[in-house]
Amino acid sequence: MNGKRSFGGGGRSKTGAQGGQQGKDGQRRPMFRRRKVCKFCADKIDDINYKDTKLLMPFVPERAKILPRRISGTCAMHQRKLRTAIMRARQLALIPYTAE
Amino acid sequence: MNRKYELVYVVSPDATDAQVGELHTQVEQITQRLGGTIEKTDNWGRRKLAYEIGPHKEGTYVLETLTGGGELMKEIDRRLKVSDLIIRHLIVRIDEEQSVVDRTRTKRTDMSRRRRVARGLPPDRQPGEGQRGDVDDDRDDRFDVTEGLER
Repeated sequence: MNGKRSFGGGGRSKTGAQGGQQGKDGQRRPMFRRRKVCKFCADKIDDINYKDTKLLMPFVPERAKILPRRISGTCAMHQRKLRTAIMRARQLALIPYTAE
Repeated sequence: MNRKYELVYVVSPDATDAQVGELHTQVEQITQRLGGTIEKTDNWGRRKLAYEIGPHKEGTYVLETLTGGGELMKEIDRRLKVSDLIIRHLIVRIDEEQSVVDRTRTKRTDMSRRRRVARGLPPDRQPGEGQRGDVDDDRDDRFDVTEGLER
């Protein structure tokens, strides 16, 4: 219980090496992060379709850039499918390439 | 050669309904001539474009699902490129992806059925049965830090 020092998935829990990441006051305060789950795996969405803008829009925030995997938590396979879907939707002007 | 394709084209907003219909018949004629079939046509109506294409800010979207060979799609592609009324079009082959999707879907239901039978339950979820608790949660202590939280 109290020996745990995991930082968002970091493997090196024994030796520490975690000085820089936490608070300035030197106190050990592990970052609390919810584990990210791939939306498409969790909701069992098999088909990422370019016509489904409602599904794609959350993955192209404000600037209309594709949200990276490290932020959205999407798994590699679904990110790949998502990318082609977004690129197709962009060609048809369903999703913007950039925001002004 | 029987492949399934999806064709979406965006018609200029200045076009009348008759002209949109005419484009559809043109596509239909080409498909018939080259031995294909149109399975479905869907007019999404007028939509706002996500960005301006030339002078246009909106367009009429038409979706067609058709089967045929590569030659047919090449011809349609060529014709749509030439047409002035069409501002964008996209042709996508869908049969392969569709089969993959179907396969994963059946695999998943099969798996869940088998698991349920192994646990002595009927293969399909009963109407009264609710969502079970999050089984996933006991295993992800590697990622969730629960100690030393600021309360």
